[in-house]
Amino acid sequence: MSDDWDALDDLAAGYVLGTLSAAQREEVARRLPQEPGLQDRVDDWEARLHPLSALAEPVTPAPRVWAGIARSIGHAEQRPKPATPATGTPGWWHSLALWRGIAFGATACSLLLAAMLGLRAFAPPAPPRYVVVLAAPQDKTPGWLIQASSPRRLKLIPLGAQAAPTNRALQFWTKADDWSGPVSLGLVQADQSLDVALDRLPALQDNQLFEITLEPAAGSPIGRPTGPVLYIGRAVLVR
Amino acid sequence: MTAALPSVNDHFDYESALAGCAARDVTALRRLYEHAAPYLLGVAVRIVRDRALAEDVLHDAFVKVWSHAHTFDPARGAARGWLFSLVRHQALNLVRDRLRLVLPDEDMAQAIEDEAALAAVAGTAPAGETRVMLGRLAICLEQLDPPKRDSILYAYVDGCSHSEIATRLNAPLGSVKAWVRRGLQALKECMQ
Repeated sequence: MSDDWDALDDLAAGYVLGTLSAAQREEVARRLPQEPGLQDRVDDWEARLHPLSALAEPVTPAPRVWAGIARSIGHAEQRPKPATPATGTPGWWHSLALWRGIAFGATACSLLLAAMLGLRAFAPPAPPRYVVVLAAPQDKTPGWLIQASSPRRLKLIPLGAQAAPTNRALQFWTKADDWSGPVSLGLVQADQSLDVALDRLPALQDNQLFEITLEPAAGSPIGRPTGPVLYIGRAVLVR
Repeated sequence: MTAALPSVNDHFDYESALAGCAARDVTALRRLYEHAAPYLLGVAVRIVRDRALAEDVLHDAFVKVWSHAHTFDPARGAARGWLFSLVRHQALNLVRDRLRLVLPDEDMAQAIEDEAALAAVAGTAPAGETRVMLGRLAICLEQLDPPKRDSILYAYVDGCSHSEIATRLNAPLGSVKAWVRRGLQALKECMQ
């Protein structure tokens, strides 16, 4: 019998299943603390669907993930258990922003130092500084390789990538963490390398996102990806 | 594809690990991480479909576990569910926000899908996977029509939006919305 199914069930089930839009998710998150009826239904749905989590194959995280968590909560790796009081307000060392700031500052300093030393040690030949492997999101099959010997120029090399079906095109995009949306780097062919000058874009950054999407034959009509992501990857700095 | 599946009745004591976190014991957080992180990262990778982004999700989720462990209420559900839900919602928020960036509205998504040309890259059906699941949920899912079952699995496990499910199943958006809703109704009824 579904006569006890109402709008609250739709909202709670959609929230737990994940099909709500960003705006609807925000609305539910805002309402949950004030509406025990909605909270109860969300709890019921979480419990009902939880066994499905077992369908995702385990993936071992890189060691730096724990190191990052330890840093973020104010516990450096070397001192796993400082005696913190069980009650009272947390001290400044619990400030995430502060530790992120310090970590960022330290990284920036070391990068600057590395750059200066690098410039002095090997002045003329610049080896590839960034590489990106673009892999299929579903099965992680590598489809493309990107090499960038300078932050202003990159080469896209196909590794047996899937070609676009008739009347469709493959479009190449990039987005750095602080950009508002992806920027097109043009249409690509699955059997051809492509040289791209980044003259109208900021210099390439570590972790910058690259992706290839399936688009109409003339490319996306709206200047943003509209089709599914076929290959995706992030820039890794080669030291 | 029967990879080694984590048992849903795993014997790790999630409740006491969360209680330790609430008491500011870092070793409790570390124990929780060492036991659960690979399963949680697996869940996040399926949803955000990018290893580096999924690791960011895991990081943010564990920072949240540390700061919110005291809000866990055993009366409202199991600690394992609390932890997995936290990671799933962190991952879902990220992909839904990203979708908002890439596709300004669902009408546009639908207009594009009405061209029906995206079917060429539709994902593979997860039918075989459903059999390995445990308990009542498996029985109830088996009773659903395949489109309803696949819609629910694509949404929960792969973090697919209605539009993405429509692309994968090569079906109109309206049908997918109806399948999801009726599938959920049938599951609730079956599991009562």
